[in-house]
Amino acid sequence: MVQIGYDTAGEIQNTYSSAHSEFGENPAFWVRYFSPSPAADIFSSDPTSESEGAWASGGHYVGAVSAPSQSRLSGSTAEGQADAQSFCSSLLVAWDDVGPLKLPSNNALYCMLDQEYSTSLSLSYWDGWANYVANYNFASLGTYPLYPGLYCDPYSPYPNCSTIGSATGLNIPSIVWSSEPEPCGSLKSPPAYNADQCSSVSSSKVKSNLWQFGEQGACGLSANVDLDMSPNGFTYTSYCFDVVSNP
Amino acid sequence: MLAGGLGAGALIALPDISLAGRTAAGSVAGPVAGASAGTIGAAGSAVPASRYVLLYGTPGTSPFHGGSFAAAQAPKVRSSALPAPKSVAAQLASAPVSSPDQSSVALVTVDAVSSGSQVTLTLVDSTTAVIEKQGSLTITDVPEGTNILATPVFAPGTTTIAVVLAITEPGAKRMIRKIDPLTGDLVTMPGTSYTSHHALAYFDTATGSFAGPFHLGNAPALALSTAAANGSDLFLWTTAEPQASQATKGKGTADTTPQISAFPLGSGKPRFTVPGLHPWPASEPVVTLPSGDAARLVNGRTVQVCSARSGDLTQTTIASLNVIKAKPSAITMEARSDGTVFMTKPGIGKAIITDPADSFRVKNEISFPVPTSPLGAPWSKAVLSASGDTLYVLGAAKTGGVSAYDVATGKLTGSYSQGDNHSGLYLLPSGTLLATSAANPRLTFYSSSLSPLGTLETSLQISAVF
Repeated sequence: MVQIGYDTAGEIQNTYSSAHSEFGENPAFWVRYFSPSPAADIFSSDPTSESEGAWASGGHYVGAVSAPSQSRLSGSTAEGQADAQSFCSSLLVAWDDVGPLKLPSNNALYCMLDQEYSTSLSLSYWDGWANYVANYNFASLGTYPLYPGLYCDPYSPYPNCSTIGSATGLNIPSIVWSSEPEPCGSLKSPPAYNADQCSSVSSSKVKSNLWQFGEQGACGLSANVDLDMSPNGFTYTSYCFDVVSNP
Repeated sequence: MLAGGLGAGALIALPDISLAGRTAAGSVAGPVAGASAGTIGAAGSAVPASRYVLLYGTPGTSPFHGGSFAAAQAPKVRSSALPAPKSVAAQLASAPVSSPDQSSVALVTVDAVSSGSQVTLTLVDSTTAVIEKQGSLTITDVPEGTNILATPVFAPGTTTIAVVLAITEPGAKRMIRKIDPLTGDLVTMPGTSYTSHHALAYFDTATGSFAGPFHLGNAPALALSTAAANGSDLFLWTTAEPQASQATKGKGTADTTPQISAFPLGSGKPRFTVPGLHPWPASEPVVTLPSGDAARLVNGRTVQVCSARSGDLTQTTIASLNVIKAKPSAITMEARSDGTVFMTKPGIGKAIITDPADSFRVKNEISFPVPTSPLGAPWSKAVLSASGDTLYVLGAAKTGGVSAYDVATGKLTGSYSQGDNHSGLYLLPSGTLLATSAANPRLTFYSSSLSPLGTLETSLQISAVF
């Protein structure tokens, strides 16, 4: 079955109540921003309160995204590597701080890079970013549980799907989180799954297994959330942090 | 054309011929291969009176190496014919940085050499797109596969450009087991972990020589740092790399607080080092205030000021910017010559002028409809006229184009649109506005009264304009 959840640049503990009031349902998951995201509230700044909020919301899975200053995505391998290093460290701090915040049982935490519509993604930046994420020895566990993913608008004229279509080995993303189309809807009445796919516009075979089908501004939502969905046959929450009990 | 061996990026230049009457010292010539010392154009040759627009971005065609730089020309009148933008540099190691007076742009390339990694700083004159100065230093004793992130920082009123170097070295290769994303199979692949530290170097624009590098010995550190300089010191925000294990889980011991160090220009030894405030450095906007203090804008709404004298920190949340949305917004912060600080947050449709000498009191606040792609590059979507009395901003997502607002009253005074949804907006020194777009023609020029002046095509997908 499909899973529907929220993403937000605000803190979960300050957001879930208004979202529940608006949609009357518990989300399956949250997607939250980690460093470097210079314009957002960072999950790892107060991971205990965020995890408490996720638990209270009924959606105790937390996915991860980083939104660096967007011009950096046009840059070098060193820039991508530096941004990924802060992202991985931010995930580590949150995990270390909150006892009940667990890695996925399948040892695969999907880590999204936010590429907005008008941003160009260079192959150099992506290779530096994705390779660092995939190679990160999280908490010296030796399990290398981080997997790179890309949030983008596949049909944008700016390089995105074509870039990841050129990636090889560890640098191939595990997931694309598509921002289009945007039919809006709700948790109770979502649209049929119809995320734009990179395979339609490039050689990339990576599936859009997460779809932002409703953005707050475009859909006129009151709560500070965007609406996201994963399709039948794919369980996005299996690739998220899991708050297994109330911290 | 400059071309770094380890970077990714390019620069294109074109003249802003609205500055008629200015003389140029050189011209943009054909590409010059290699990152060694050289000139883009022949100094002293005759060129049209002009100022160049320097474009930074990613080539629009595969393999999308990024970090490209080009020079382009802005039209003076609608009928002006323009030459195509010309490539200036490619595969830059980091984004260019403009001098405080916008008279020059610093570019950095990194090349592997037999003794290590060679870092080359090139100063390009914005008026002529000619190389003013160029110098190199070599980072020795670094293993193959080392990445160097070099960030130039202009020290206003001096001939010094500090260069913050984040040096990230690979460890020993090992085999790691990962899930193949395309097949779902568990496969064994070669992998590497990395460790970063910082070093400082100082480039003298008068002599073209470097002092340093001064290694700070702060490994393991996060490579991302934030830096600003005044006429005497470099202020540097750094963070130790968090360490954790299964044994520490739940104890919260991994978190690391940023620290701020003040280095006298030319020195690798800090005058002071103090604990900073969260969040970690993240390429957030940073400026040097008239007082000499350094200020950074974090979380899209809070200004943290570091006292240049003592390192004391103050923090002010700007109420006008303290609006949370599901999606973050682009943010900009600019110190103006009159002592005020101009900030924009297009995702909530706000631009403000604040007084840093009065706790960042908001002197002017302008509201406007949210433009399309308010988080996407370029982050410059609202600009202030040189006199500070007019705000130019990209039009609303539904209408596109460009709009103008009276800063004193906040009222809309004009708009122009042919339905184009531009991605970024810049004010050129001539007063001409330059809007960027996804598809060619990617450059659209407007007069200060929003009359369209013309368009220009470029091969770059533009991330920033200098």
